[in-house]
Amino acid sequence: MRGALTIISVFFLTISGTAADSHPAHAVLEQNCIECHNSHDKKGGVALDVGPLKLDDLELIIDVVSGDNPEMPPKRDPLSLADLSVLEKWVRGGAAIPDGTVLTDKRLADRKWWSLQPMMSPSIPAVGEDWARNEIDRFVFAKWQEKGLTPSPEADSRTLIRRLSYDLTGLPPTREEIAAFLFESEQNADTAYAKLVERLLASPRYGEQWARHWLDVARYGESHGYDKDKARFNAWPYRDYVIRSFNADKPWSRFVQEQIAGDVLWPEDPEGVVALGFVAAGPWDFIAHTEVGEGKLDGRIAKHMDRDDMVSAVFNAFMSTTVQCAQCHNHKFDPVSMEDYYRLHAVFAGVDRADRTYDLDPYTAQKRIDLETDIGRIEQEIRELEKKTEAEGGTELEQSRARVAALKTANLAELKMVPERGYHSAIVKSPDEEKWVQVELAEEADITIIRLIGTYDKFGNIGAGFGFPVRFKIEIADDEKFETNVRIVGDFTKRDFTNPGVRPVDVTVEASHRSMQFVRITATKLPRHNNHMFALAELKLLDAHGNNLAAGVKVTAKDSIEASNRWRRANLVDSKFTTGADPKAIAELAKAHEDLTEILNKIELPERVTEIEELKKKKAGKEKKLKELPTGKMVYALAADFNPRGNFKPTEGKMRAVHLLHRGDLTTPGARMNPGAPPLWDGVAPEFALDSFKEGDRRAALARYLTHAENPLLWRSAANRIWLGHFGRGIVDSPNDFGRMGLKPTHPKLLDWLATRFRETESVKDLHRLIVTSSTYRQSSVADPDKAAIDASNAFYWRANRRKLRAEEMRDSILSVAGALDLKMGGPSFQDFKFKNDHTPKYWYHLHDPTDPETHRRTIYRFIARSQTQPFLTTLDCADPSQMVAKRDETTTALQALALMNNPFIETMSAKFAEQAGTIDEAFWIALGRAPEDAEKDVLKNYIEKHGMPATARLLFNLNEFSYVD
Amino acid sequence: MSIKHPSRRQFGTTLASSFGGLALTDLLASDGALSGTHHPARAKRVIQLFMAGAASHVDLFDYKPQLEKEQGQQWDPGEQVELFQSSPGVSQQSYWEFQRYGDSGKHLSEPVSPLGKHVDDIAFVHNVVGQTGVHSQGTLLQTTGFNRPGFPSAGSWVSYALGSENENLPSFVVLPDHRGFASNGVKNWSSMFLPAQHQGTVIRLGDEVPINDLYRPDSITKAAESDALGVLRALNQQHAAARERDSRLTARIRSYELAAQMQLSATEALDVSKEPQYIKDLYGLAPEGPGVDDTKINHKAEAEFFGRKCLAARRLLERGVRFVQIFSGNENGFPRRNWDSHDDVKRDHGPLSNGMAVGAAGLIEDLKQRGMLEDTLILWTTEFGRMPCAQRNTGRDHNPFVFTNWLCGGGVKGGTFGESDHWGYKPLDPNNATQVYDVYATILHLLGIDHERLTVRHNSIDRRLTDVHGHVIQDMLA
Repeated sequence: MRGALTIISVFFLTISGTAADSHPAHAVLEQNCIECHNSHDKKGGVALDVGPLKLDDLELIIDVVSGDNPEMPPKRDPLSLADLSVLEKWVRGGAAIPDGTVLTDKRLADRKWWSLQPMMSPSIPAVGEDWARNEIDRFVFAKWQEKGLTPSPEADSRTLIRRLSYDLTGLPPTREEIAAFLFESEQNADTAYAKLVERLLASPRYGEQWARHWLDVARYGESHGYDKDKARFNAWPYRDYVIRSFNADKPWSRFVQEQIAGDVLWPEDPEGVVALGFVAAGPWDFIAHTEVGEGKLDGRIAKHMDRDDMVSAVFNAFMSTTVQCAQCHNHKFDPVSMEDYYRLHAVFAGVDRADRTYDLDPYTAQKRIDLETDIGRIEQEIRELEKKTEAEGGTELEQSRARVAALKTANLAELKMVPERGYHSAIVKSPDEEKWVQVELAEEADITIIRLIGTYDKFGNIGAGFGFPVRFKIEIADDEKFETNVRIVGDFTKRDFTNPGVRPVDVTVEASHRSMQFVRITATKLPRHNNHMFALAELKLLDAHGNNLAAGVKVTAKDSIEASNRWRRANLVDSKFTTGADPKAIAELAKAHEDLTEILNKIELPERVTEIEELKKKKAGKEKKLKELPTGKMVYALAADFNPRGNFKPTEGKMRAVHLLHRGDLTTPGARMNPGAPPLWDGVAPEFALDSFKEGDRRAALARYLTHAENPLLWRSAANRIWLGHFGRGIVDSPNDFGRMGLKPTHPKLLDWLATRFRETESVKDLHRLIVTSSTYRQSSVADPDKAAIDASNAFYWRANRRKLRAEEMRDSILSVAGALDLKMGGPSFQDFKFKNDHTPKYWYHLHDPTDPETHRRTIYRFIARSQTQPFLTTLDCADPSQMVAKRDETTTALQALALMNNPFIETMSAKFAEQAGTIDEAFWIALGRAPEDAEKDVLKNYIEKHGMPATARLLFNLNEFSYVD
Repeated sequence: MSIKHPSRRQFGTTLASSFGGLALTDLLASDGALSGTHHPARAKRVIQLFMAGAASHVDLFDYKPQLEKEQGQQWDPGEQVELFQSSPGVSQQSYWEFQRYGDSGKHLSEPVSPLGKHVDDIAFVHNVVGQTGVHSQGTLLQTTGFNRPGFPSAGSWVSYALGSENENLPSFVVLPDHRGFASNGVKNWSSMFLPAQHQGTVIRLGDEVPINDLYRPDSITKAAESDALGVLRALNQQHAAARERDSRLTARIRSYELAAQMQLSATEALDVSKEPQYIKDLYGLAPEGPGVDDTKINHKAEAEFFGRKCLAARRLLERGVRFVQIFSGNENGFPRRNWDSHDDVKRDHGPLSNGMAVGAAGLIEDLKQRGMLEDTLILWTTEFGRMPCAQRNTGRDHNPFVFTNWLCGGGVKGGTFGESDHWGYKPLDPNNATQVYDVYATILHLLGIDHERLTVRHNSIDRRLTDVHGHVIQDMLA
């Protein structure tokens, strides 16, 4: 097939359209063929969406779609006989696609799908009078009537308080809480229940529990992942932001907008910056960004994948739409085109993930904004004045400027000589005598670049590069004498080195050798200036931030002439060296400068010069004030401005060019894309209507798009996630995908009712309240064989779902019942590993001391490393921070049993638990919230006597009852 | 042949909500997702040897006389080349001599000459191409089929498809370099969107506790442990009896029995001390064991480290483990203990490749003599290759444009299936390069699996190990 269509594309034969009307065959082609045969994919060289069809052998169309086992459409049902005959007639008639008729991929405009329909306010079914407590129950009951199901009895009070406590706070109820609730329930069950719900929703523990659900979706982690997996020490403010937002019941649209463009929409509010941790939360390829960089294709591929992660995260999390499927071709199932996808890339074209500052108090934030605005305005005024000059100067000025710039870039700056020339070896007769000079850093440090700068001395009329070695090597070692572990980090001994003059020579140190203390430069072939010697003006050792760590350090040498202040060992690291170049070049540059000044003098008005000078002074004053503001804190978030590192540099708001990429390939760029988002509801233009395409404006437009009142997906998506958090399954059980490849809602009307209400209230706590106070939620989890025969998976909620504790809930529960849980909220994450900040950081879990109380905080405050996930929690199905997890796995494995029996954490907490409980009764109440039954007492009595309480506690932690919530 | 759970996610019936309908075996997943294979299998198990840091094909397996002719001249491929760290230097011939081995006369370099004995059984693929020259991406591409995080390891896919032959051992085992993980750490053996029991279980050979939490804590006596299992079972059964029709509860009771059996099975499987001396010698084990001195990288230590992993792997495979992933080399650090020889190929590749070759040759020989080579597939791979030109005279920069994989056993025949150009810079025939998808399509094919039909729906896409690519390398099939 592939071969056949290639032939077609080689021998073009144009069939121009003759028929005036659209042929029914066009619809068949649009339905079945255009998905691959379009101008992006051009499978077999055929594109049906670009005007007249050009084929040499029309019959081939019929050949490939007909027969017993037709080649086309591939991997799908063959065309119907009706479609075939339509197509055949069309081919026999000349297969015309008339001029002016454009075949389009209709799927891309096809919004006939439940999740893309406008949300409706369904009427509440008038059923279940005696049983229903609220609207949820009516919708659920209506489904039961369809299926022949009836409700399960209500769960008992002890079960309910345990279920509620876990669902809303992730922690078990205490013995006192249970006792109080049981007592109050006996007085008035509904009042007691309502009171309990309010207490739990108001508890700070609530935010911690529900933030964890959101952080799963946000793929939140605290290291970069990929190679080197560097730690992100400033990611946690975003985690705290999510906790605060849930606890404060922040309106959902605000929560959404802040996470996309909070810095733009609420510049006075530091939360707006911290919230940007969402888009930045995913993995990031440190090496590809900082070492390779966008100057190389591999760096640009990494940048592309980086934006793909951002775009996918936003759309999967907020819209339950898998836009990422449109990276290489139009989405095969949902109305998302490649253009839509790359427009989203353009939204994030000016931002990266990096540490950025945010202000502690609103006053400072406001002050900063004011100053930045003023500076921006002054710069604009200066630019406008300068523009006038440029306009008046015309081509002559332009050329003169170009000449000056060219001479400057040729590194021909003005010569600035310093008396402190540098280091100078003893003078010898032979060029082959080795000379060396070395520096010793105060302590071992990571050095990225070693910079050598030649001297300038007029002796013998030599000038720039005096004494610079012809051949040399740079070595590092572990000791001053260069006896142990000597490694060459720069080898220039094989060929003569072109004298660089006084231009700095930068040697980039290979990643594995960056850690150094003793650095030696050995000249292996000396230059000839009458006799031979080795001289060097300056040696700089630069770290990743460009700081010179060699300034003022100890210098030793094989020998040195030590002549006055001019030639001394110490001059090598005194930060004084001659810059500039030879007099001829300087003269040339000076002349060019003169010419330029002359031109400027001709056209420049004195008033204008003064005005510009005044403005510059004003600007400098504002900049000084800006610098004096308290710097604020750091958060790892989206950023256009940050400290550069290697080849990873801030855009400072300058947009990268985003092109549509055919087949997702950077080497085949198509049209440049403007920012926009898929038109998933009526009235949305695919491109954002913006006056400017400034960085922040793009994200603000996306934030507004997401929270648009007509957006059919945002509210449904969120309501479904809240439902899932309570019932263990979503009304749509593919929470990140409401498209055609996802699942359909089991209760579409209920979902719309919840989503519509949510759009009105924007209150997550209102949704919780509705759900947990419903009769549906309060049912028992006991299974009924007859009902199970109708609905084994309980898709229709005829009972409660017994659920297993999530990894974090398990760990928090153990800490809690052991009396060890520290409820301190927020701040930097605790580390339950030993950390070593190597070139490749180490996260050693096995070296962690489980008795360290610093780590006895709730698990949400744990430092989450990507390349080395926490083994205990990972075994318990903890979410992997390198992917968005809409719904946790629930597995049962032998390795889980081993972890819960033998992990040092369990051993430590068993001992602590034993300090709380002296008897079987106490132990049961603390661990399980109930008294033991006689049979249980009998079994355990012996065990405690023989093996003691710590061993018994370990056993209790391993009970099914401890792991499951009824 | 049908897939039992074509996609659990497709129907949204997770374990949490469908326990009424699932059997115990599903919960403990000793069975695979495939109820049988798609076609008769040639191989039952896989062992992947991964050289972390990027092993140099031109110094080991891919002989290039052209480089000898050009030695020391500026290397000029006639096009602009973007390298990871450096600019192209002079043409650099192999740092070692090559000699012919076997009936085929295949050239191998001196440090990998121990493989010479089996060279006629090895299928060399010298035209494998990567996508980028970045370690993290290259490593993920070879271990998961995708160059970014978020996708299951090949071992997870195989475990998911075929399950385990021994429920007392994990079906997918990882033997990382004891000096540290490779690029991306655990991402190279994560199950991601496949159920968690298919993630690779790390075994640290020679460690007191080779699998996390394998043994009871010191504070628990032997009697307390065995009594605990009895009491736990009794209490859990009472609890489950009051909660009928929840097979998860019974599965969890069973998981404690399996855990106890795993303690014995894993301990037994990893105890190589009972192996006869000639077997230990075969794998190149050092008399002083894992404590062998490697303060300076050396042949003896590298053979001990790699050989011991190969021997343990054989014992695990023998006992029903489905997929073993062995790493040689850690992430970049100092002193270098990986294959990323920018600075000194001879110093690092020498001991590493010789140790690897001793261990791998021992493994092939041992599998052969036990009749296991027939249905055990070995894959030797690395994230990419190294350039035919020198980096600073003694090293080589990354070459993602072409590199070598080799396979052995499990229905594969010996020979060369894909050549690189005369420098070892790019594939000889650019239109017929081999990609990781083709290698995995072939491996799945040999395991009886059609790579296009082993899918799991995740976020709208029916995901495969081979993405949307991959062709079985038919010529390689025995």
